[in-house]
Amino acid sequence: MQFFLGKRTFLIVLFGALLLMPSLANEYHIFIANLVMLYIILALGLNMLIGFAGQLAFANAAMYGIGAYGAGLLMKHFAWPYWAAAPGGMLIAMAAGTLLALPALRMSGIYLALTTLAFAQFVWWLMTHWTSVTFGAGGFIPPPIDFSPIPVTQEIGIYYLTWVAAILLYLAAKNTMASSIGRAFVAIRDGEVAAESLGINLLRYKALAFAISGFYAGTAGALYGGMLGFVGPESFDLLQMILHKAAVVIGGLGSIIGSVIGGVLLTVSVEITKELKWSIEMAFGALLMLFVLFQPTGLVTFIKRWVPGWREHLQYLPEREAQRSIDVEASVEDVGITSTDESAQERRP
Amino acid sequence: MSIALKAQSVSIAFGGVAALQDVSVDFPEREIIGIIGPNGAGKTALLNVICGMTPPDEGEIFLHDVSLSGMKPSDVASLGLRRTFQSSQLFPGMSVLENMMCGLHLMGSTKLFGAVFRSQAMKDEEAEMRRRAMEALNFVGFKHFADRPGSALSFGQQRIIEIARTLIYEPKVVLLDEPAVGLSVTRVAELETLLRRIRDERGVTLIMIEHVIRLVMGVSDRIVVLNSGQKIAEGQPAEVRNDPMVIEAYLGHQAANE
Repeated sequence: MQFFLGKRTFLIVLFGALLLMPSLANEYHIFIANLVMLYIILALGLNMLIGFAGQLAFANAAMYGIGAYGAGLLMKHFAWPYWAAAPGGMLIAMAAGTLLALPALRMSGIYLALTTLAFAQFVWWLMTHWTSVTFGAGGFIPPPIDFSPIPVTQEIGIYYLTWVAAILLYLAAKNTMASSIGRAFVAIRDGEVAAESLGINLLRYKALAFAISGFYAGTAGALYGGMLGFVGPESFDLLQMILHKAAVVIGGLGSIIGSVIGGVLLTVSVEITKELKWSIEMAFGALLMLFVLFQPTGLVTFIKRWVPGWREHLQYLPEREAQRSIDVEASVEDVGITSTDESAQERRP
Repeated sequence: MSIALKAQSVSIAFGGVAALQDVSVDFPEREIIGIIGPNGAGKTALLNVICGMTPPDEGEIFLHDVSLSGMKPSDVASLGLRRTFQSSQLFPGMSVLENMMCGLHLMGSTKLFGAVFRSQAMKDEEAEMRRRAMEALNFVGFKHFADRPGSALSFGQQRIIEIARTLIYEPKVVLLDEPAVGLSVTRVAELETLLRRIRDERGVTLIMIEHVIRLVMGVSDRIVVLNSGQKIAEGQPAEVRNDPMVIEAYLGHQAANE
């Protein structure tokens, strides 16, 4: 049972289907499948920053844009091959992300959100107005990417590159969050003062969280520019940020597998919304609010509750779930100081 | 009797209010030292200065003759000085075992590379951390809680786990900020036994702020009394109990004269 329904089976089916997609589907569906993988990467990176490390940052779309612009402009201005330009874009995005850790040392919550939002708008302004470098609001077309000697078109080449990147970045995220780094992130989220008293260096781990999410977004950006064969500022605006956040929240804050689910569901829902000609801004703004109000831990908590084989490290449990497990245990045992009967009388007023 | 921790002429003021004025205390090794005093006496301020959270305006803290001046709390923690807080600071989003492993954070030598690729060294280290975490949970009798989320425990249980989390890194000194707050009478008695075991079996110096006078008087080897930011008395529980300055601070001037 566990073997067939577990998250490993889900991942194998998902990435197996994505592997076969180019030989089965039309060009448009391949494009959507490629977007699915990009949003998985974006959601993974953003979730490590806001879901695990608890840093409410609003600059992910800007990092995504910096990755795309960085890679595209290195090709356009300096005639770098994609193999060098893409890592270049990724590293620039990572460096920009790391810089955001500096305000995060002094601010948190809504103040950090506003500061990072201002940074994102500034990056967007540069993309639209610094015409001599970024080619302004109209965007630009980077030189075509040559995959020779492998005989594939640019679309298919980027598709499989994204496939490999998504799997590697998923594994890296899962392993890192299961290590002492993941625990340090969650410790900072749940209580900075206590984290510091256990020897966790706030500067180092906040910087690491921002660097990782910058790297993930930059990678997605560099791949996005290659996939589209075009880079323009309208792909990296505030709506894009809302979409990233929606992917993380729908899937599940603080859950790696949740980010995969969120990335898939978000891309599919965006396509459905477009099909129905609804306003994307309103649909996803509303969806984000509904989840934050009624299911703040995302869809993954449903799955974890009902399906075996979806356990993860660093379980994020809402109050209600935690209370439920107290009730279950309280009926079972009572052993000296470890007993649960005191929970009622000892809880502080 | 060697000195584990030494506070030397510590003064600190918050916006003109002198929270601590020229306070000097020696904390001997392997002793339980209670810090008592009326509200606002500067007890928590002293603890915060010791652990590096608030740098003092004047004076210095020494841990085994090493000056802690200018160190961040995370640096102080790495030298073997740990603390608990007045309110429970267990991380609610982690299991009890993961909370305990956070206490061993500094043991982790593998870096990002090892974590990303889940290297063998990293796996071995995790296994060792898990073993030590279980051992520390066993010490306080909470082994069976290992997989429970931190938020699913009662307040009293969280306090005990928090104490266990400070022990896991084999600290020299542990600061406890009101460990008995909110505990029922029988639990306080169990806490008393646990504190003695920590001193005797682990060789830890415990520095404890506590308002439950029965606990402080019963368990402490030495008591330091603060009032209005000044040390007014220091000594064994029996001496301190009869000190006229202490009686005055707690009960007022007239009571002291009677």
